[in-house]
Amino acid sequence: MKTNLVAVLIFAALLNPLACAGRKPAVYKKTKPLMDTLVTITVVANSEGEAEKAIDAALSAIDRFSSLINFFSDQSELARINREAGIRPVRVSPDTLGVIERAIFIAEKSGGAFDPTIGPEIRMWDFLKKIRPSDASIREKLGLVNYRDILIDRDKSTVFLRRKGMMLDLGGIAKGYAADMALENLKQNNIAAGLVAAAGDIRAFGLKPDGTPWTIGIKNPRQKGDADELIARARLTGKAISTSGDYERYFIEDGRRYHHLLDPRTGYPSAGCRSVTVISDSGLYADGFSTAVFVSGPEKGMKLVAEAGVDAVIIDRDGGIHTTPGLKGLVAFEDNH
Amino acid sequence: MKTIIRSTTCADRLLFLLLVLASCAGIFISREAVSQSSDVLIEVNGKAAYTFPLTTDRLVTVDGPCGPTVVEIRERKVHVREASCPNRLCLKEGWISKGVIVCLPNRIVVTVGGGSAGSPRGVDAVTG
Repeated sequence: MKTNLVAVLIFAALLNPLACAGRKPAVYKKTKPLMDTLVTITVVANSEGEAEKAIDAALSAIDRFSSLINFFSDQSELARINREAGIRPVRVSPDTLGVIERAIFIAEKSGGAFDPTIGPEIRMWDFLKKIRPSDASIREKLGLVNYRDILIDRDKSTVFLRRKGMMLDLGGIAKGYAADMALENLKQNNIAAGLVAAAGDIRAFGLKPDGTPWTIGIKNPRQKGDADELIARARLTGKAISTSGDYERYFIEDGRRYHHLLDPRTGYPSAGCRSVTVISDSGLYADGFSTAVFVSGPEKGMKLVAEAGVDAVIIDRDGGIHTTPGLKGLVAFEDNH
Repeated sequence: MKTIIRSTTCADRLLFLLLVLASCAGIFISREAVSQSSDVLIEVNGKAAYTFPLTTDRLVTVDGPCGPTVVEIRERKVHVREASCPNRLCLKEGWISKGVIVCLPNRIVVTVGGGSAGSPRGVDAVTG
């Protein structure tokens, strides 16, 4: 009787569909407000528990990094660097140092079209309240914008801004780097496929459960309704994608569009493009170069893209589309374009 | 297998039937659990603060760093009714029956139906 009962129990357990539940890879997603934006992490995992553990760890990593480089928090390493500008070098963590070094690299490569010392200029604008600084104050603060005045001592792990009043703002690359960081964290937690999206700065890795790459929509910079929200779709794996657009933070005054992508060499919004999307192996470079290419304008931007070894979709000020040959087969444009 | 079936008693077969029924019930129970994702989840600063069924109309006041945000559930739809954040973009999101409403300054995320709005655009994420 006992043997029979055991046999029946084993048989029933084999029939029980719940015994196998949770083993099939599925897509899990979580969103959290971090870095003054929304960070969404999507993973392919065998169970909700496994996914949640990995996602939470990756979000915590972003949170920690964000507290180091937050422009608006007095406690951040970035705020200390800015406070001590012209006074003394500030010792920082390897993450902060690494981001600043890479920011300087992008600044050099782009001839200053991207400049992390744009802080004094950008803080004078308020795009929500439609506040535009006077021409005189833009000119005055321009003297404080120059990436060559960031002095790094790698041995001592210090950063020094040469002149008082200088301000680092890493907003142009921090989200891309955060996506890189979160991705590494997910991989350490044995996640083989997923998406990290710090707003529009996205890193994709692995494949979806159906074996296809991730599809990332590229926003139409002059969207009129729901039907034309996207201008193109990119099918990606093992890549990062970022977009800089003149429609994200802007206001229109006297028929002119004032947006947040300032040219560090003039202090005014750059007018050559509507949007620039960069696809790269690294989130940080996709993020940084999308800003650099936007500010450079379509012609110089295409040269910069080739030199930097990244791919790009540039929508110029007239709506013209410029793409690099490397995107063939990866990016499909919508019918309305 | 035949030997096993032949050697079972009525009680064994009854037990077997019960186990099979319990297994099937498990499917429905788990489906019921999954269907709870159509509830309204309100998170403050990344932590789940409330979960309510979408089927019951109610007003919920949630406190965030900027002050109170009033979320309304009515006729299986959700919107932010009052907000104390500076830009009030969450108010402009309107009524949703699936998807996410976010108030960044107040660090409040309202997720309806598990968050995915069914991806009508057929994309996994959007850049720009």
